[in-house]
Amino acid sequence: MNAIFLTLVQFIAILSAAPFVVGLVRLFKARLQGRHGASPFLPYWTYATLLKKQMVISKSTSWVFRLVPFVVLAATVFLVCVLPLVVFGGAFANLGHFMIISGVLALSAAFLVMGGLESASAFGGMGASREMTLAALVEPAMIAMFATFAVVTGSFTVDGMVAGANILTLPALIPAIGALVMIALAENARYPVDNPATHLELTMVHEAMVLEYSGPYLAMLEYASALKLTLFSLLIANALFPMTLATTSSVAAIGLALVWMVVKLIVVSFLLALLESTIAKMRFYRMQEYLTIAFFFAIAGLVFALVHISL
Amino acid sequence: MNLSLFILLSLFGTILSALIAFISAKGQGHRAVMILLALSTGVGALSSALFLLSGQTQLIVLQSAWLFGTPFVFTTLSALFFFLLNTVACLASVYAIKYVEQYAEIYNVRILDALMAIFVFGMQGVLLSGTPFGFLFFWEVMSLSSFFLVMADKEAASVRSALFYLIMTHLGAGAILAGFMILSGESNFESFTRLAVLAQNLPPATLFGVFLLFLFGFGSKAGLVPFHVWLPEAHPQAPSHISALMSGVMLKMALYGFLVMVFGVLPAAGTTASLIVIALGLLSALYGVIYAVLERDVKRVLAFSSIENMGIIFTMVGVAMFTQAQGLSDFSHVAIGAALLFAVAHAFFKSGLFLGAGVMVHAAHSRSLEVMGGIAKRMPAFSGAMLVLALSAAALPPFSAFMAEWVFIQNIVSNLATMQPLVQGVLVLVLAMMALVGGLALFAMVKFFGIGFLAEPRSEHVAHAHAPELTISLPIYLLAACSVAIGLCAPWILKTMHFAELTNTVQWHTDFALTNTTLNPFALFALLLVVFGLVFIARRASSNIQNERSYHTWDCGQPITSGMEYTATAFSAPIRFFSHMITRTKKQVIATPVLATNKWIASRTFSLGLRQIWYDGLYVPIQNTCLWISTQVRKIQNGVIQFYIALIFIALVVTLTIAL
Repeated sequence: MNAIFLTLVQFIAILSAAPFVVGLVRLFKARLQGRHGASPFLPYWTYATLLKKQMVISKSTSWVFRLVPFVVLAATVFLVCVLPLVVFGGAFANLGHFMIISGVLALSAAFLVMGGLESASAFGGMGASREMTLAALVEPAMIAMFATFAVVTGSFTVDGMVAGANILTLPALIPAIGALVMIALAENARYPVDNPATHLELTMVHEAMVLEYSGPYLAMLEYASALKLTLFSLLIANALFPMTLATTSSVAAIGLALVWMVVKLIVVSFLLALLESTIAKMRFYRMQEYLTIAFFFAIAGLVFALVHISL
Repeated sequence: MNLSLFILLSLFGTILSALIAFISAKGQGHRAVMILLALSTGVGALSSALFLLSGQTQLIVLQSAWLFGTPFVFTTLSALFFFLLNTVACLASVYAIKYVEQYAEIYNVRILDALMAIFVFGMQGVLLSGTPFGFLFFWEVMSLSSFFLVMADKEAASVRSALFYLIMTHLGAGAILAGFMILSGESNFESFTRLAVLAQNLPPATLFGVFLLFLFGFGSKAGLVPFHVWLPEAHPQAPSHISALMSGVMLKMALYGFLVMVFGVLPAAGTTASLIVIALGLLSALYGVIYAVLERDVKRVLAFSSIENMGIIFTMVGVAMFTQAQGLSDFSHVAIGAALLFAVAHAFFKSGLFLGAGVMVHAAHSRSLEVMGGIAKRMPAFSGAMLVLALSAAALPPFSAFMAEWVFIQNIVSNLATMQPLVQGVLVLVLAMMALVGGLALFAMVKFFGIGFLAEPRSEHVAHAHAPELTISLPIYLLAACSVAIGLCAPWILKTMHFAELTNTVQWHTDFALTNTTLNPFALFALLLVVFGLVFIARRASSNIQNERSYHTWDCGQPITSGMEYTATAFSAPIRFFSHMITRTKKQVIATPVLATNKWIASRTFSLGLRQIWYDGLYVPIQNTCLWISTQVRKIQNGVIQFYIALIFIALVVTLTIAL
């Protein structure tokens, strides 16, 4: 009962905070670029408006096009249920096995790519091809990174990994967290991998795939990417500060964890905006270098961990 | 109930269908033969399933005097493969009823049916034989019948592939024969159990040689790099239901043979031997998956994907051998369990994909992915089944192959901390490579489905295609359902498999794989379904589902045509770019100006040479050397009789010197 309550708290907190995070990053970016920027709550209105709008479905598409937003959003909501974002020891923490996490992320990437291909336009295809390349190269880095966490903490669920991640006593986690940050940027289509603000440019990845979606389906896909950004932000912050999560269902513990959640999201959003304002996007064909670095960071962490244990 | 009788009935039915196919008049009896074959293999599948469920470990089906007293024996391992073989063969026969009729003018239907039945019979025999003699006899039946099946359409390309296949398969069979002869010494035609006893007394160097012979023999059949070159040529050329049998089941025969020889007959293999297997496995997986990403021929994509899958399975087997040599028997058992689970999953999803490829090829009148597309809109149910199969092949949760990879990687990661540095090094390498291959496999399968099924059709043929008939699509639906079911029942399958007959090692219990994991596919599946349901309800509750209209895709104000879609070549371009160092593709763009005044108005031709580096780098030199030697030898045969007499004399002297 306790675990279910904790999961429910996390579920509601993340689902309601996600649009705020996207708005916050945009606000910080605008301020850093000398603009006034829109309210961080604007995405809530954007999604609500999109839900009311009429959808335009391309004649070229089939049933797969309609399935895509459901699978992508469901996969992300699944991750919200199983990952330790606000609380530890949720009801589904056992399903947060790292193979499942990377598998479900790959599943949602695969469906997003199919949605991009369905539009039959060169834009969709280009975005799809690029996204698929990124997903294929992120997968090994992610498994290696989680393997490091698993070896160091002796746990196979992300719940246990984050709970046991104490970087002061386990220095091997530092390269692994570095890899996690790089993976998170790639997974969320952020700088230096993709530019989330671009439209109709030949550089885009994520936006090109969702170009043909409109109305409620677009809202679902945008919401899914907001959720993904939120959960990766919290995952990185939690790996560094696992003590900020609630473990019991007392009101005080949960209240504190929720306050911490907001603080962490603000800090991570600011850092992300800072990063995006200071570095340039990489050429797409240099992406394999970026992801190879992430992969070797993760493997380096694993080797450090093994050496550390055997000493 | 007498299981032996049912198994014999299945064998008899298979051979009977071959006979009926031979003697039936042209253009008649096809359906009857295929139904009989489906029934007999169905009986075989049922009886092997009953055997597996009964908990017996051995069953002597027939103690005959034929084939030098080869007993027909059922063990748990062979029963598992027997089940896979017969299930796939049963579904392939049902598929063949209507599928072959579509091509009645191209194939000689009588011969095709008869050869298919003989092919299935050969594989049944391989699994039942208890002696090297019977094993090799049926191995040859299987190889020869599949050789003729590859060139069933009598095209020049098929004949060439078939001959290449014949040479490779016979080199492999020769190596296996040589291995058996070295092992058995003077007492030929003994049983495998006796062979295991004899093997104990041989020196390690000889045993290592035998191991290498078996690795080449079975590895070449299983399509391990660098002995794989025949596979992407031969598998696609055969009719689709035969491709399904070859890729889904015949490769498993090689795996079965390798497992029996390495774990059941030879004494425990050393570290070196196991590292060779791991290296070949990883090489095959990586090489196969890169080509699966780059290929544009739908059946070649699947053939290369099979090389990748067999590479993964052999890596798992290699890791099992390696850890066994290091004294980690629990680890070894889990790795074998993962390998067998993957083999089971592969038999189903790859057969399904090949059967589906037959439907795609029939719709597009071509094997090229570049002319497909738009199938999902025209055949929704069929494409749904193919999507499930493709996602299984990509090892995505919650489907079948994912469970095997989960068990394997979980096992590595959970034991990594407590091992020797050498073991850790090898396992970290395996982990990294498996992860890389997994990512690329996802790419290959999304390309296969995305380019083949989605968006606008790229040719007129596909635009007018219709959904296949029920007997063609039903086997594909069933195989897709099996892929889901295997994913769900993975823990139960691992619990059911016990391998007592491999007596060299301690008894295998694959349920070891379950002791240290939280493998619960039902909970995973349930939670995925629940969140999907939540999303579905939320969408209905929050927005009006009728509020939509249909319009063409936006494309800068121009009408959209299929020429604007991404092709398979374009889709896989980033990976081609990244793997250029390995694959050395040759890209050529030739621009011919249309107007003399403006050089920018030009017609462009694009060609991409996908070279087979192993073929060019290893096989062509061998071929040239053989040709050169033959040319030199031919100089002797110049018609001068004295030369011939001298040759006979020299041969006699050499023979006598060796013999005495």
